Amino acid sequence: MLTRVKSAVANFMGGIMAGSSGSEHSGGGCGGSDLPLRFPYGRPEFLGLSQDEVECSADHIARPILILKETRRLPWATGYAEVINAGKSTYNEDQASCEVLTVKKKAGAITSTPNRNSTKRRSSLPNGEGLQLKENSESEGVSCHYWSLFDGHAGSGAAVVASRLLQHHVTEQLQDIVEILKNSAVLPPTCLGEEPENTPANSRTLTRAASLRGGVGAPGSPSTPPTRFFTEKKIPHECLVIGALESAFKEMDLQIERERSSYNISGGCTALIVVCLLGKLYVANAGDSSSEEEVTNPKAIIIRNGEIIPMSSEFTPETERQRLQYLAFMQPHLLGNEFTHLEFPRRVQRKELGKKMLYRDFNMTGWAYKTIEDDDLKFPLIYGEGKKARVMATIGVTRGLGDHDLKVHDSNIYIKPFLSSAPEVRVYDLSKYEHGADDVLILATDGLWDVLSNEEVAEAISQFLPNCDPDDPHRYTLAAQDLVMRARGVLKDRGWRISNDRLGSGDDISVYVIPLIHGNKLS
Amino acid sequence: MYIIIGDTGVGKSCLLLQFTDKRFQPVHDLTIGVEFGARMVNIDGKQIKLQIWDTAGQESFRSITRSYYRGAAGALLVYDITRRETFNHLTSWLEDARQHSSSNMVIMLIGNKSDLESRRDVKREEGEAFAREHGLIFMETSAKTACNVEEAFINTAKEIYRKIQQGLFDVHNEANGIKIGPQQCISTSVGPSASQRSSSEIGSNSGCC
Ligand SMILES: Nc1nc2c(ncn2[C@@H]2O[C@H](COP(=O)(O)OP(=O)(O)OP(=O)(O)O)[C@@H](O)[C@H]2O)c(=O)[nH]1
Ligand SMILES: [Mg+2]
Repeated sequence: MLTRVKSAVANFMGGIMAGSSGSEHSGGGCGGSDLPLRFPYGRPEFLGLSQDEVECSADHIARPILILKETRRLPWATGYAEVINAGKSTYNEDQASCEVLTVKKKAGAITSTPNRNSTKRRSSLPNGEGLQLKENSESEGVSCHYWSLFDGHAGSGAAVVASRLLQHHVTEQLQDIVEILKNSAVLPPTCLGEEPENTPANSRTLTRAASLRGGVGAPGSPSTPPTRFFTEKKIPHECLVIGALESAFKEMDLQIERERSSYNISGGCTALIVVCLLGKLYVANAGDSSSEEEVTNPKAIIIRNGEIIPMSSEFTPETERQRLQYLAFMQPHLLGNEFTHLEFPRRVQRKELGKKMLYRDFNMTGWAYKTIEDDDLKFPLIYGEGKKARVMATIGVTRGLGDHDLKVHDSNIYIKPFLSSAPEVRVYDLSKYEHGADDVLILATDGLWDVLSNEEVAEAISQFLPNCDPDDPHRYTLAAQDLVMRARGVLKDRGWRISNDRLGSGDDISVYVIPLIHGNKLS
Repeated sequence: MYIIIGDTGVGKSCLLLQFTDKRFQPVHDLTIGVEFGARMVNIDGKQIKLQIWDTAGQESFRSITRSYYRGAAGALLVYDITRRETFNHLTSWLEDARQHSSSNMVIMLIGNKSDLESRRDVKREEGEAFAREHGLIFMETSAKTACNVEEAFINTAKEIYRKIQQGLFDVHNEANGIKIGPQQCISTSVGPSASQRSSSEIGSNSGCC
């Protein structure tokens, strides 16, 4: 994606920022900073590569496809393969991590008594036994599968940091709500420590909830539930998980921002994670979105019985445009007097001053005419068509982590305020379907989706997996390798070529193939 | 950069492991993609870092293996002296290699498992004849006893080095699998930190076979 930033600068013809030297966002792992790296550059930890292997694999000419070694296994027998770019950056700027997290009620945040009490309470409940069996005992914690994929731009720093740390933020956020989630029979309490609405098992929720706050509010136990005169929104459990993931992304971004003063954390990254918790898959995606039509992002799709189920819709360009325009409208200083938040069908020319031209503002979806003023001659906040659309002529990504130092070329205008770390989260209930061995969730970075459509990916998977031994522990890794091979292609005299002599992807390509059959036994 | 090719089970991964780690692995871990090894060697007083790519021999991975020839300066083409079919397949491997690599690639033919003399199925002379006919260097090795393993890799490196000196390789074209390190040392596919690394010592010719 670095190329996008660069080409944005190169393509830029408006004049105000023409010039040279882009020292701010140089490529490679260490953009010339004297500060130490937060983590050294490397490939995903689960690949277990030695320094020599990392070196060998960074071959932009032969572009070896790295896969999980025979001796290594990922949770759920997940398959993984990746390949480095064809030379656009020294390093592979994609990163990944995969692990099983154990989410336990935070120690210290609660007193030790509730645990003992809850056991007692539980056994006195008619269905207590069943609940206990289902999610283990309260103190055990819940295991949570986690897969992540990051696509870096303008340096590998942010992607490396996020691949090492985002899972901890996820765990931390889930810790606060794990006890509520486990109690699936009762809706989450609206206010912790308060008596929830009358439900059959409400006494448990109450005490549990109170215990989360370490007994803050009413010491002892509130005797009478407060009478409610107003309707209350019912918040299902999965919304708490979504909220936790959103908070985890935000915290990760804040941590990068904080640690920038002591470490060199270069560039930014898009982030796509999948969390499997209590029988549901949550796919959280903070990626590219300002581009219209063919949006290519790190993306997730489920292929179930040959059918494609998109699992990460890109933010619609429409809502994203309105968000950006609104922010610029509310805080015009962020535009540094160089940009206009209004959208015009094309650049406005000086000679058109005083004429009426079509435009739209943040609060419009349609178009109207307005008289062109001086201010309208400024460069548009979002400019460019399709994949080439850029925010402030600089970046094609509007969501993601990092990029705190990214400025508009030759100016002091920061881009970061316009970038959001908030992911879009989609939920998939694993229990609603009996999955077969060839039903998979595919997670991949731009490199794959740039050159292969959802249909081609599904087609490739449906050709590949049924021809593999269903018990072969490598089958999903081989399928991932096959997808990377299809997207990378073969080096011919006229560059990398894939089927039908189309151009292969010269980008970093990383692919997970996650079998969903392992989700069956969870529910 | 070297690439090791040949039928599945001939001992490619074992040869690499013996060369880089001086170990032998008795069980066959099928290689399903590509694996890497690296070692510094001394050729004519020059430190050279050999990067070796071990590929999958199984037929189903052929298209992936093929895509790695480009960028290789040398190839070890391996057969198993106890299995004639692995020798019979050499022609098809050679065709692949010639078709997909740069024309100057040095190819070393290796008859592996020389320790299994009693089960020999391909005569040494047959290997020699095949090599002569196709202009390859030839050696018999044993990844188990380490016999000739060093020599096989180092002789290939010497041959590449000779070709470089004769100007047959364009060392400035990275597609040939050769990179010049920072301190004038010629090395094959060297990464940024390679020249700082110490070399592992090389046993002198042991002449065991
Ligand atoms: N006796 C003996 N056995 C060997 C020798 N080299 C390899 N083997 C055995 O041959 C089997 C296959 O060796 P590998 O190195 O894994 O074969 P490979 O060529 O890498 O096979 P693929 O990865 O499938 O292409 C293993 O069981 C090794 O122990 C040798 O020199 N002598
Ligand atoms: Mg092998």
